[in-house]
Amino acid sequence: MKISDYLKKEFCIMDLKAGNKEQAIREVANCLTVNGKIKDKEKFIHDILERESLGSTGIGHKVAIPHSRTEVVNGFAIGFGRSKEGIDFKALDGDKVNLIFLMGANPSELNLYLRLLAELSRLLMENSFRRELIAANTGDEVVDIIRKYEAGGIVK
Amino acid sequence: MSSIKNIAVSLSGSAASLCTAKYAIYLAKQLNAKLFAVYVIDARSLRELLKTGVFLEVEASEHERDLKDQGSNTLERVKKLAEVKKVEYEGILLKGVVHEEVTNAARNLPADLLVIGELRELASCREIFYDEGERIFRESPCPVVVVKNPEEVDRLYREL
Repeated sequence: MKISDYLKKEFCIMDLKAGNKEQAIREVANCLTVNGKIKDKEKFIHDILERESLGSTGIGHKVAIPHSRTEVVNGFAIGFGRSKEGIDFKALDGDKVNLIFLMGANPSELNLYLRLLAELSRLLMENSFRRELIAANTGDEVVDIIRKYEAGGIVK
Repeated sequence: MSSIKNIAVSLSGSAASLCTAKYAIYLAKQLNAKLFAVYVIDARSLRELLKTGVFLEVEASEHERDLKDQGSNTLERVKKLAEVKKVEYEGILLKGVVHEEVTNAARNLPADLLVIGELRELASCREIFYDEGERIFRESPCPVVVVKNPEEVDRLYREL
């Protein structure tokens, strides 16, 4: 399974209103909840923030991947949020974060969760991938970009 | 007498991998072979997540422990499924790069046949290098059986 099998255009927020980390996580979590991926939004947010409290998931390059394994996720969930202004995530490089991928998985999906999280972090190391996500106009475009890079830069 | 004495089956711990195990048990019973179930703790993903800063050390350790538990539980479940059908069985829990560990295990046993779950559709040639199932299939030292049709597998196992 690939990231693009799970990330739908409906789970993408192209212009986050959030001004801080918790608000950003809430905004994307709300989107996933409305679309039926999360059973208990508040518990999900709590679990995500608890993980953040151990250390920021702002991995540098203006990217954050807040994540958690928690029972309140239906299978595997991934949402995307983009902030034009940038959000202070206390990222490793100190930069504000523009691209946020919020990931959650039911504990029963452990292998899938690890594989997709590793795949996403690998893709996000590519400058051109991040640049295209920053420039995307719609959720459809975000999904297409991910699909393209999953395919090695060439869509089948 | 069959020349297939040892059958290895690669398991991921998913619900689908139990179906793979059932078919391997079916084959082992039919061929009077010994079944070796192999579960690999995916150390490559853990390493990548640590390297990219997505995981903290404590988080990686916790996930590794959970993967080990999942592996042990999966091997135990398959052991029971094999025992019911009176198939000689051994579980093997490994850690590393999944396709390397599975193919090495198949080589070292040595396995005469390797059973794996259904391969997913590839979106690109790049995935040939990243998809663990695909690499096991291509790099196996012995013939590979790819299990399909879960309903039929369930029936074969039940009627065994």
